[in-house]
Amino acid sequence: MFVSFFYNLRDHGIPVTPTSFLRLQRALCTGLIRSLKGFYIVARSILVKSERYFDAYDRVFAHHFEGVELPDLEDFELSEMAKLLLEEWLKNPAAIAAALDVDENELNKLTPEELEKYFIDRLKDQTEAHQGGNRWIGTGGTSPVGHSGHHPGGMRVGGVSRNRSAVKVALDRRYKDYSQEGPLTQSQIGEALKKLRRMIPSGPMDVVNVQKTIYETMRNAGEIEIIFDRRLADRLKVVLMIDNGGWSMDPYIPLVQTLFDYTRNQFKDLKTYFFHNTIYDRVWSDTARYNKPELVTEFIKKDPETRVIVVGDASMAPYELMAEGGSIYFGEKKRKPSIENLQFLAQTFRHCVWLNPNSRRSWENTWTTDIIRKVFPMFELTLDGLDGAVSHLMSRN
Amino acid sequence: MVKNNFSKFQGADKYVLDDELAEIVNVSMALEMPLLLKGEPGTGKTMLAYAISESLGMPLIVLNVKSSMKLVDALYQYDTLTRLNDSRFGDSSRDVSDIEEYIKMGKIGQAFVADTRTVLLIDEIDKADTDFQDDMLDVLDQMEFDIIEIDKIISARHRPVIIITSNAKKDLSDPFLGRCNFHHIAFPDEDTMRMIIGVHFPDLGRETTDACIKTFYGLRKLEGIEKKPATRELINWIRALKADPDFKLSLLEQGNVPYLGVLYKKSPDMKVANGAIARHRG
Repeated sequence: MFVSFFYNLRDHGIPVTPTSFLRLQRALCTGLIRSLKGFYIVARSILVKSERYFDAYDRVFAHHFEGVELPDLEDFELSEMAKLLLEEWLKNPAAIAAALDVDENELNKLTPEELEKYFIDRLKDQTEAHQGGNRWIGTGGTSPVGHSGHHPGGMRVGGVSRNRSAVKVALDRRYKDYSQEGPLTQSQIGEALKKLRRMIPSGPMDVVNVQKTIYETMRNAGEIEIIFDRRLADRLKVVLMIDNGGWSMDPYIPLVQTLFDYTRNQFKDLKTYFFHNTIYDRVWSDTARYNKPELVTEFIKKDPETRVIVVGDASMAPYELMAEGGSIYFGEKKRKPSIENLQFLAQTFRHCVWLNPNSRRSWENTWTTDIIRKVFPMFELTLDGLDGAVSHLMSRN
Repeated sequence: MVKNNFSKFQGADKYVLDDELAEIVNVSMALEMPLLLKGEPGTGKTMLAYAISESLGMPLIVLNVKSSMKLVDALYQYDTLTRLNDSRFGDSSRDVSDIEEYIKMGKIGQAFVADTRTVLLIDEIDKADTDFQDDMLDVLDQMEFDIIEIDKIISARHRPVIIITSNAKKDLSDPFLGRCNFHHIAFPDEDTMRMIIGVHFPDLGRETTDACIKTFYGLRKLEGIEKKPATRELINWIRALKADPDFKLSLLEQGNVPYLGVLYKKSPDMKVANGAIARHRG
């Protein structure tokens, strides 16, 4: 029953499993479901495991059982994008106007509805005349890694959509998952990073050490002597720095997202910072790289035992890395060239690595990658690469 | 047809149950599946378990998950210290050579060995690490576990009704989700909220209820709040208003909000709310 409904859900990106579908059949057999409404609720509770997919479920359900037209996905995404832009616009009109290259006052005359339509039209232009990505789409509030709990992975960014679908086709090799070099899944990352911990006794002495207690009791001629220990806790400090700007990183968003999700769950003491292309005087702790800057020089206050993991493709124009004031952002006056900041970080923290989502073969062809490699030990963002990175991070010197 | 021989859950004295959730709870009990609840803090995820236990007359066992918790802590504990003590002094009625006497059941173990069907609430599962979650679901799937020290398998006498709550926005692992039914408790709309208040404060006048709800939903709309006040805060707030002999309804109508500290728990939030109220009062 409802097999086509099941496939319809799958086609719309809701991860429904055959097991849960069979379970739905069992639920139908209990005789508890007596109405379409009941079926709607129960099927959702059994099949859909995250509120993120509730909306998609609703659309598929309406289509399947009530014959509602499914909205064209691309249009839907565009309007979602436009809404995001509108929100950004309300927060920071000047930045959006500058990015769209229009006069802020012109746009100010429009009502919100008109604005949204205007954004949709602009986005359509964008998709049709794809120029390899525009910066404002990469940064306009949809960063690869989210704080808000929504996975931007589910929200495609207009400008890269062409690009991504090509990547998707390329990655759509059915047995690729079995290969070590394949894209990382969360559990694979988990396995690789498991070694990355430092267990240190901490807290109150409240755990009985049975071995020692028996030993000491024996020494005491049978008079009980209880020995307490502190609990072991993971005290590893990790700083994760992610390059989340620029279209060159966009294809790797899902990969970095997975890494970020995992590390956020895994490490108690994790600080995440964002930068664009390379590190200048500041890094930001908000994904939009706008609100919460932190001076790189302040990092000297951190524990030098902190593990620093930088994720980025390390490819940029040479002057961005080497020149004084090389930032591509207007208005950021830099005293030091970026490479000195990188060297500072590498010297401050003994345990640091650079994870590069580009494959090792391409490193030598990119001049900046080659330079950064000499500063930071660089590893590929693959299973093997992660293994190498972790053993480097945990080595004694 | 699975036989439909259990009592159905239809809400409790102090719990306003919407149809959706009732249906899901009943189907989960029929399918004998754990029910995973997500939603904003303070929307009654934990309270649901209390309500089920109250209305169906089943004892409630609460497992508060902590980050350092190991699965075995939730299953059973082997009290080595007491045994050592007993072996030294020999003045207890326990038989030192019988390890079983020193095994104490943890919360999951208690639910398994209970004489009647129980409601097992596993609160804030997201605090524990992924391994704990997966291993726990294995135990709950099999409905049995092994006490290694005495190599004895404990199987559940009655399959407990399992309610699991999670505050996290982050996802739980796929195998975990695959074994649960899922529901996201949305924030109640104004009409539902009116019913909830009616249940908790049956003697509260209609005008007061309306004024409180209006103020409350107005405050929820404020931008830049980290932790929005939820049902729990509203109920506590009304309780505070009721306890205050000087409180008059006209205060709310003028845009004053007394006891803001009951609604907002973080100082930056308080600041934002205070600013907004001052502006509103003009």
